[in-house]
This record gives sequence, C-alpha cells and structure tokens, in this order.
Amino acid sequence: MSSIKQKILTWARIKSPWVIHFNTGACNACDIEIIAALTPRYDLERFGVVLKGTPKHADIILCSGPITRQIEDRLKNIYEQMPAPKFVVAVGTCACSGGVFQGCYSVKSGIDKAIPVAAYIPGCPASPKALIDGVVKLLSSLDDSGDNKAQKELNPVILGEHRE
Amino acid sequence: MPQNGPEEVQVPVGPQHPALKEPESFLLSLRGEKITAVNIKLGYNHRGIEKAAENRTYVQDQYLIERICGICSHSHSMCFVQAVEEIAGIEIPARAKYIRTLIAELERVHSHLLWLGVAGHEVGFDTLLMYTWRDREAVMDLFAKLTGNRVNYGMNTMGGVRRDVTPEDLAEIKKVVDVLEERTKYYIEVATEESTLINRLSNVGKLSYEDCINLGAVGPTARASGVDRDTRRDDPYAAYGELEFNVITDKHADVYGRTLVRVQELMESYKMLRQIVDKMPDGPVVVKVPKKVPAGEALSRYEAPRGEDVHFVKGNGTDKPERVRVRAPTLANLQAVSKMLEDNYLADMPIVIAAIDPCFSCTDRMIKLCDTVKLEDRVLTWDEVRVNGIEWYRKNKGLNLAELNASLAGKMGKAWKQ
Amino acid sequence: MNSQDIKSKLEAKFGVFKDKITTPRANRVFADLALGEDFEPILKYIVTDLGFDNLLLITGLDERETFGVIYHIVNKDNIVLNLKTHVTRENPVVKSIIDTFRNSELYERELIDLFGMKVDGLPEGRRYPLPDDWPAGQYPLRKDWSHLPGEEPEQSNNEVPVKKDEEGK
Repeated sequence: MSSIKQKILTWARIKSPWVIHFNTGACNACDIEIIAALTPRYDLERFGVVLKGTPKHADIILCSGPITRQIEDRLKNIYEQMPAPKFVVAVGTCACSGGVFQGCYSVKSGIDKAIPVAAYIPGCPASPKALIDGVVKLLSSLDDSGDNKAQKELNPVILGEHRE
Repeated sequence: MPQNGPEEVQVPVGPQHPALKEPESFLLSLRGEKITAVNIKLGYNHRGIEKAAENRTYVQDQYLIERICGICSHSHSMCFVQAVEEIAGIEIPARAKYIRTLIAELERVHSHLLWLGVAGHEVGFDTLLMYTWRDREAVMDLFAKLTGNRVNYGMNTMGGVRRDVTPEDLAEIKKVVDVLEERTKYYIEVATEESTLINRLSNVGKLSYEDCINLGAVGPTARASGVDRDTRRDDPYAAYGELEFNVITDKHADVYGRTLVRVQELMESYKMLRQIVDKMPDGPVVVKVPKKVPAGEALSRYEAPRGEDVHFVKGNGTDKPERVRVRAPTLANLQAVSKMLEDNYLADMPIVIAAIDPCFSCTDRMIKLCDTVKLEDRVLTWDEVRVNGIEWYRKNKGLNLAELNASLAGKMGKAWKQ
Repeated sequence: MNSQDIKSKLEAKFGVFKDKITTPRANRVFADLALGEDFEPILKYIVTDLGFDNLLLITGLDERETFGVIYHIVNKDNIVLNLKTHVTRENPVVKSIIDTFRNSELYERELIDLFGMKVDGLPEGRRYPLPDDWPAGQYPLRKDWSHLPGEEPEQSNNEVPVKKDEEGK
C-alpha cells in the first residue's frame, strides 16, 4: 500500500476511530464506565469515536474483564474478524493482569494472554477520564506509523493510575 | 435442545456482556418471527469466585466479593459482611447501619436510572439513555465524594464502615435527592402517559404470578407480576427496620410493569434517603473485629436493585472461610427468561432480557442465525437485532419511539439547565 | 410461626432432629440431618405443613469424609430453614427436588459440575457452570482440588513475578 494512502487511512483512524466493546468476563464496572464515557458528561464522541456493533468495521476493541476459559475463543474470533490495522485496549485492572481474579481457576489472567494489547488502562474500574486519556494517547502514538509493521513494534501505552 | 419443525429456525444468541455473573448464550427456536422455545447456556462469566474465596482471608474476600458485579457491588459486599458478622456475633454501631443503608439506597437509585437508560436504548428511545445517565452522574459524584470511588465503593468492613459522613455530605445528599426526584417525575410521566412507549412495552415478556413463584423470580421482575416480596421489609437488615417505605408491586406482569415498578421504587428510595439523613445517629462507625472468625454458619439475604441476593458463609475458626456460597438475583431470574420469551417476537428479545435488568451494557453481542431450511449461516450482531426490532415495530405496529426523543427533550429542557 | 415454633414442630415430628436444630437468630433455623436418614418425608412435611414454598439456594459442601448438601428454603412467615443433608464420598448421590421446586435445576447442576456429585432425577440438560471442554474428573470445589493438571496456579498479587530470562535461564 502506498505511503500516501497509508497516511490518509491513519488520519481517518485518528480522526474518527470506530470502536467495539467486548466484555470477556468482567464484573461490569468497567463496562458501565465505558458507556458513561459516551454520555454527555464525558462525551467520547466529540473525539470522533464511534461505537460500532460489529468487529468487521472496527479499528479499536475495548476489552474489559479478565479472560475466562469459556470466552477465550470468542475473543480471539472477534479479534480475527477485525481488519488490520487494529488495536486492542485493555480497560481496567482485570483486563491488564487479571486483577482481583488472578489465580481463580476459571480465569486466564489478562487480555494479553490471548491477543496483543496496544494500550493498558488500569483502574478498578477505569474511570471515563482515564479511558478518554488512554484512547487519545493511543491515537496520538499512531501519528506517523500508519504502516502495518509498526503495530508489532508498537510499544504499548501504559496509563498511570488515574485518580479523580 | 429444542427440536426443529420444518419451518423452524434456530438462533443462537450471545454471549452477552456483562450482565449477570454469567453472560449467557441463548438458543432460540423461531417459527417465522415468533419464538417457540428457548434454551439457555450459562457460564461464560464463571470466574471461580467461590473457590478463590476459600483461599483468601475474610478481608481479602471483602474486596473480591464486591467485584462479583460492578453495578451492585455494595449489595454483594453487604450480604457477605452481614453473614460474617452474624457468625462472629458482632453487633455493629447504629451509625454504621445507617451509612450502609445510605450507600445501599444510593446504589439502588443509580442502578434503576442505569436500567431506564438501557431499556430506552433497547427500544430506540435513546434520549432516555442520555438523560438518565446524565442524572446518574449526580449519584456517581456523591459516591466519589463519600467513598472515594465512582464504582466499587469499598465502604464496608467487618464491624462497620470504613468512612464516616460529614454534615456537609448529608446536606449535599438531600440536595441531590431533591433534584433527582423532580427529574424522575418526568420519567414517570413519560412511562405513564406516552402511549407509544406503553404500547411498545405492554404484553411483552409476560410472566404470570404462578410462574414467578415456581421459577423463583425475584426483585422488580417478580413484583411486576404481583409477587409481594421485598427482603428489606420481609427480613430487615441494616437500618431498614427503622425506615418507612412502600413495597411497589404491579399487576401488568410484563415489561411495562417492570418499568413502572422501577420508576416508583426510585421515588421510594428518595423518601428513604431523606429519612436516613434526618435520622442519622451519632457515634462510632466501626467496632474492632478479630481476624479469626469462629466456626459457624450464616445465611444472609439482601434486596439488591435487581432482586434478592443470597450469601451462605461457613466459618471454621481460622481467618479464611470454609465456604462462601453466592446466589445473585439475576441467576434466580434467568430461570424465568425462557418462559418470558415464549411466544414473543424476535424483535422483543432485547427488551425482554433487558427487563430482568441483567447488568447489561449495550455492546457487542453476536447472534448467529442458523437457517436450517436453507442451510445458510448468517451472522448478525445484537445491535442489528436491536435495530431490526425497532424497525419491525415501526413497520408492523406503527410504533416509532424516536418521536418520543423530541418530546422528552422538550420536557427535560425546562428542568435541566446544566 | 417463629423459628422456635418451626424447631419444636420438626423435633416433634421427626426424632432424628433431636439436638440437631439451632435457631441462632430470628428468622433462621439450621437443621442437620444425619447421614443415611430419609430426606423425602421431611421435605414433604415442610412444604405441605410448614409453608416452606420458596427455594432460595442449594449449597454443596466438601466435609472431607462426606459431602454436605444444604437446602435453603423460606416459608410464608419469612423463616429461612437451612436443612443440611449428607452423603458419602464414595457414593455422593442425592435425589433431585425439581418436582417440588422447579428452580432447583441450576443449583443441582452446580453440585454435579463443581463437586462431582450425582443427582438422580434431574432431566437432561446443558451442564452448568463449567465450560463444555472442562476435563472430566476435575471438581473445583472439592477441598483436595487446587488447579487443573498442567496448570500451575498464577502468582498472587502479593508476590513480584521473576522473569526467567532475568535469572539467566
């Protein structure tokens, strides 16, 4: 793909990333904070972020929750359906590392055990402000690297603990 | 597994998001557009919490159990800590009981407002989602102020609560309650006067009184069918024995009834919150508790926003429990969902499931349509089924809820200037 | 009726309950039915005569030599009866109460999946709560079970994990 086309695609992605949300076994706290991020008080949509229902059109997948044994294949399946380049955001401490469910027999720990993660947003739950900060940082880190190869070398964004 | 007739199609749905402890997968049998049978597969969210609880101390378990569900985390925390305090023979101070009840009712308010928004979204009434979730933020701000966190408050500890409330906090609570009560009156108006909404939600997801009893349904889902059960009144705990409130029941026995019960429960919660603030007793907020809990058993019942939560705890004299057993309200209600969906349209599925209030969030749910007659595999997302449902009702029943968006915006615009 | 009344009636009707019932607080009755005693007539009695019509939950217990099964049932006066029964470890079979309480199904399936017990009379149905590919013979809630074979437990939050390459291995 020509580098100009790549730059346009990158620009489009940065200006208006399409996002899907998938819960991989979470307690819902992060899920409701993700939705809260879309409501008027925080209004993620003003950044052009659009929540989509299908992975086939998504640039970013927001994952909440640790991976349970039952959901793992589903998660990988959805990730595979997303067209490249695609970015995974681990929302909440459970998605980052398993959180409080580390060691539970039905839980496989963080999202990165199944799919590559581009940004980690800790918090229990991750607050809407942290979420917006994380997504914006991820998008900014994409600025010059529209190339597919760059995804592998992409240093994951790790957000500091965000307290309101 | 449901059998397929020649014109029957099987539709697997799920895994859902959050909701429940277990986002489940439904296998629907459809004849045309009508659901003839439902088979539910649970367990996608099974995390092994009960096992983990046995290997952690009671204090660590407090943190774990709060995270069974993020929407009613205080409910689980309360149910658990009450059981442990019972085994240990601890009597907590009066002020602690009131503070616990304060957080409990605030949780009910945020949860019911959340539900209203989600229900609105499922039927195409998105303005309701925006307004109710904006109202909810007032409660989230209160939580952040009182407990240090918007969600997963960590307010409870063995022997009481971890933080006290100031007179300023209490005054603030009353102010917020006043504002929310005014706004909730608009939601009640919408629920009881807008015929489009009433028609959309009526006769959908019907569950008779008998079925509620036999299938063990709880909470607003059961109360909407006339089941007069509410643990706060039937088996009082914390400060509920000293508060005056009504248990709201309804006879519609459908999604509309479940809506009415929840909006009216909001009004009851506001009443209770005022009483709590006015009657807040002085004194300490916590008593010291030994790390080791004696051998013994306790069964704790708690009325969470979704219905009755039940915890059974067995102590063995160490600092770790012998057994922790949890039954969340949604698990009880799930067993009634198949019955509720029978003979409904596929278009009704999103709202019927939402009406049991399964800690849902409106995001990616995958539906696979297996057309056994044509041998095709079509993959639909939940969002497409939701949108399809909204379209179906617009075309076939002339119900267009998008019109309500403007009407609600008009009403709310008067009250809301922030 | 209060919990003391329930206790008296049960003791009067069934000799096996002598000294086996406690009422630690209002609205709670804890009854222990010894191993081998007949559960069915008791269930019938509490449902028909004492108004116990609401099954809250069924709890399985690993008691080392035996398994315990506790039925938590509520009556019309909001008394909770916690009726504990026992079965041997070698033959952990209980009879399903689904004919009396339709909502017992999921709780009984948990006894099967998590404890490896058997429940007679439970209709065919999907397992719960473990995934379909869970290996046979692995019962997580048994006291002698800690992890699946080949899956070492993850390090706890309190320990700092040491990376293998840092150790030079």
